[in-house]
Amino acid sequence: MEKLLNEDVVKQIEEAFAPMKESVHVMFFGQKEGCDYCADTQQLLEEVVAISDKLSIEIYDLDDDADVAEKFNVDKAPGTVLATKDGETVSDYGIRYAGIPSGHEFTSLIQDILLVAGRDSGLTQDMRNFLKELTEPVLLQVFVTPT
Amino acid sequence: MVQAEMVEATEFQALSNKYNVSGVPQTTINDGAANITGAVPESNMLEELKRITGK
Repeated sequence: MEKLLNEDVVKQIEEAFAPMKESVHVMFFGQKEGCDYCADTQQLLEEVVAISDKLSIEIYDLDDDADVAEKFNVDKAPGTVLATKDGETVSDYGIRYAGIPSGHEFTSLIQDILLVAGRDSGLTQDMRNFLKELTEPVLLQVFVTPT
Repeated sequence: MVQAEMVEATEFQALSNKYNVSGVPQTTINDGAANITGAVPESNMLEELKRITGK
């Protein structure tokens, strides 16, 4: 199959990933029917993960692996979760992508991977204080278009 | 406690319609408790979250 990322892009990502300290685990959820972008998204993620040995990926199916999808709150395909994995323990950082992370969102994906690799949200102290006291779940959904 | 999801609006149109997405990016908090079009600086996000959670 033809590559989605050309050599120049791979080189740029390699440079961006060079300072990565900790590992990042990518979980991909596809679906067999009615998912126009599942194959492309899976291929894109696999090409990104192949760039660094600090990255790993696990492929799931929204229906066949419904228990995992439910555990990680994934209800759309293609669905991508950025997490970390230590042995068999997967830690969730609450970062999700519904749909293909292409265009501007490809940059977001790379930045999010670096963010998780750094294990630091970069948030202000005010925000951290607020989040510490948070007792109810918050769902942020950012709608974007692939341009 | 916090989940942040990018939603590709053209792939999930039913959801986009539900939250009346007309410009992007649109940030929707807690199923429509807030809908903000455009960039959301961290301080604004904090204000919105405080308002929604009543803290």
